Amino acid sequence: MSLADTAQQIRRRDLRLPLVAALLVVALAAPFIGSRYVTHSLIIALIFMLPAHGLNLLVGYTGLLSLAQAAFFGIGAYTAGLLAVHYGTPFYVNAAAAGLLAGACALPLGVPALRLRATSFVMCTLGFVIIGQAIAKNWISVTRGDMGLSAIPKPHFALGPLSFTVSGTTSFYYMALAIGALATLAVWMIVRSPAGRNMIAIRENETLAESLGVPTWRYKLIVFIISAVFAGVGGSLYAHYLTVVSPLTFQMYYSTTMLIIVLGGGAGTISGVVFGSLLFVGLTEALRITPELRMIAYGLCLLVLVFWFKKGFAPVINRFWDLIGGTK
Amino acid sequence: MTGLPILEIDKISKSYGAVKAVSDVSLHVNRGEIAGLIGPNGSGKSTFFDCSTGLQRPDTGTVKLDGQDITGWSLNRIAREGRMLRSFQKTVVFKALDVEENLIIAGQMFTFPSLLSTFGIGRMSKQRISGLRDRARELIKMAGLWDVRHQPAGNLSGGQQKLIQFASMLMPEPKIILLDEPMAGINPKIIERVIETILYANRSLGVSFLVIEHNIDVVTSICQRVVVLDQGKKLVEGLPHDIIADERVREAYLGG
Repeated sequence: MSLADTAQQIRRRDLRLPLVAALLVVALAAPFIGSRYVTHSLIIALIFMLPAHGLNLLVGYTGLLSLAQAAFFGIGAYTAGLLAVHYGTPFYVNAAAAGLLAGACALPLGVPALRLRATSFVMCTLGFVIIGQAIAKNWISVTRGDMGLSAIPKPHFALGPLSFTVSGTTSFYYMALAIGALATLAVWMIVRSPAGRNMIAIRENETLAESLGVPTWRYKLIVFIISAVFAGVGGSLYAHYLTVVSPLTFQMYYSTTMLIIVLGGGAGTISGVVFGSLLFVGLTEALRITPELRMIAYGLCLLVLVFWFKKGFAPVINRFWDLIGGTK
Repeated sequence: MTGLPILEIDKISKSYGAVKAVSDVSLHVNRGEIAGLIGPNGSGKSTFFDCSTGLQRPDTGTVKLDGQDITGWSLNRIAREGRMLRSFQKTVVFKALDVEENLIIAGQMFTFPSLLSTFGIGRMSKQRISGLRDRARELIKMAGLWDVRHQPAGNLSGGQQKLIQFASMLMPEPKIILLDEPMAGINPKIIERVIETILYANRSLGVSFLVIEHNIDVVTSICQRVVVLDQGKKLVEGLPHDIIADERVREAYLGG
C-alpha cells in the first residue's frame, strides 16, 4: 500500500454518527420541514412499520411466510376502536389491549397452523384474513358490519392529574414516532437475544436446530404470537389515526403491503424494515397526489426490486453504512 | 461407573405401509463404548437411528437412555434433556452462519434453564453466552478450525463442515452421540482428523458412540463392537474382526 493510499484513508472520516444525528433531527423536525401531507404519509409509514417489524421476526428471522398479519392488524384496530368508542379508555390501555388480544388470538390460530408444512401454512394464514373480514362484516351487534366503527376519539392520555389529547397531525406524528422507536428497540432486543439466534437457526435448518435441542415448534409459536402483538398495536394506532375502522381493515392488500415492506426492505434486517416502511408506504401515500400514475409507479418500483435487489434494500444500506464508516 | 448400558434399545419396529423398514431390532451401547452399526444400503440403519433419536416414532419397542424410558420423546427433548446427540448424513451445519455461531447455537439450549430465559439480553444472559463462546473456541481449536472460525460454515469444505458438526455436538457435554456415516464423502486427511476427534471425545470426555459407517477400515479401527443389520433385522453382533470374517455378513453385502 502506497503512502498516498494511507493518507487518503486517514482523511476519510467516520460519517456514521453525524448521519444518525442528522436522521434523528430530520425525524424530529419532519412536521415542520414538509407539508402536512408529508407528515400524514410518515404517520401511515410508522403505523405499517409495526406489523412489518412483527412480520420480519416471522419471515426474516424464523423463516415462516405468513399472510395473516392483516388479520391481527384488524383485530387490534377493532379492539382499540371498540374500547375507545364504548368506554373512552385512554390510548395506552387501548393499544395494550389491542396487542394482547391480537396475541391471544394468534395462540389458537398458531397451534394448528404451525403443524402444517410451508405452503399449507401460508394458505392457512391467508384464511385467517378472510375469516377475520367475514366476522367483522357479520358480527353486526359488535362491529356494526359494513358500516364499521366511526368517530373513534383521538387518543388521549390520563396519567394521574395529567391528561391530554393527541389531536393534531403533528402531535400524532410524535406519538407514532415514539411508539415506532420503541417497537424497533423491542425487535432489536429480541433479535440480539439468544432466542434470536435460535430463530435464525430454525430459519437456516429446522431439523438441525431440533437435533441440537432447540424446541423449534414452541419457538415458532412464540414468534407467531409476538408478531401478532406488533400487528395489534399497529392496528390500534391505525384506528385512532383514521378514526374509522371497517371490515376492509382485514384485507389481503394490507398483508401483502406488510410483506413487501419486509421483503423489499430486506428480510432479516431491522434497518431494512424501517427503510421499507418509509419507501413503500410513505411512497404510495405520497403518490396519491397523482392517482393515475400511482399504481404504475408502485408496480415499477416492485419490478426494480425483483430484478435488481433480490435481497431487498438491506445490502445497499449496509454497503452505504460501511462506505461512510471511514477506515476499513 | 455402573455396568448398566448407556443406551438400551429393545425390539424396535417401524413400517412404512407394507414395508417393514425395521423389525424387532434390539441393541445396546455400553458406557464409554464406541459401537458400530453396519449393513448394506436399505438395511434399515437410518430408520433405526431416526426411531432411536426421536425424529420418528417407532411402531413398537422401547428406547432407554441411561435407565430412563425416552420412547416417544421428540428429537429436541432427547437432545436437550437426554443429552443424546445425533448427526445427519446430509444436513451438517448452519451454512449462512460462521463457525463460532454454529457452535454457540449448539450450546444454547443446554445453558439456558428455560425457553423464555433465552429472550433475555441482560447480564446473566451475556455471561452465559460468553461462557459458551469460550467453550466453542476451545473446541474450534481442537478441531483445527481456528483460522476459519469467522467464516460462514457453508464456504468451508465438506470435511471441515463435518468437523464443525462434530464440534457442535460436543458443546452440550453429551452422554452419547449417534453418528450417521461421519466419513461419507470426505477426503482421507480429514478422516484421520475425525477419527482423532472421536477418540478424543470418547477417551477424554467420556462420550459413548454409536456409529453407522460404510468404511470398514474405520469401523475396525475405532469400534469395540459391531452390529450388522440386514433387511431390517439384526443379522449378527460381535467383535469387528469376527464380523468381517463372518460368512453371513459377506453374503448380505454381496448378495444384497
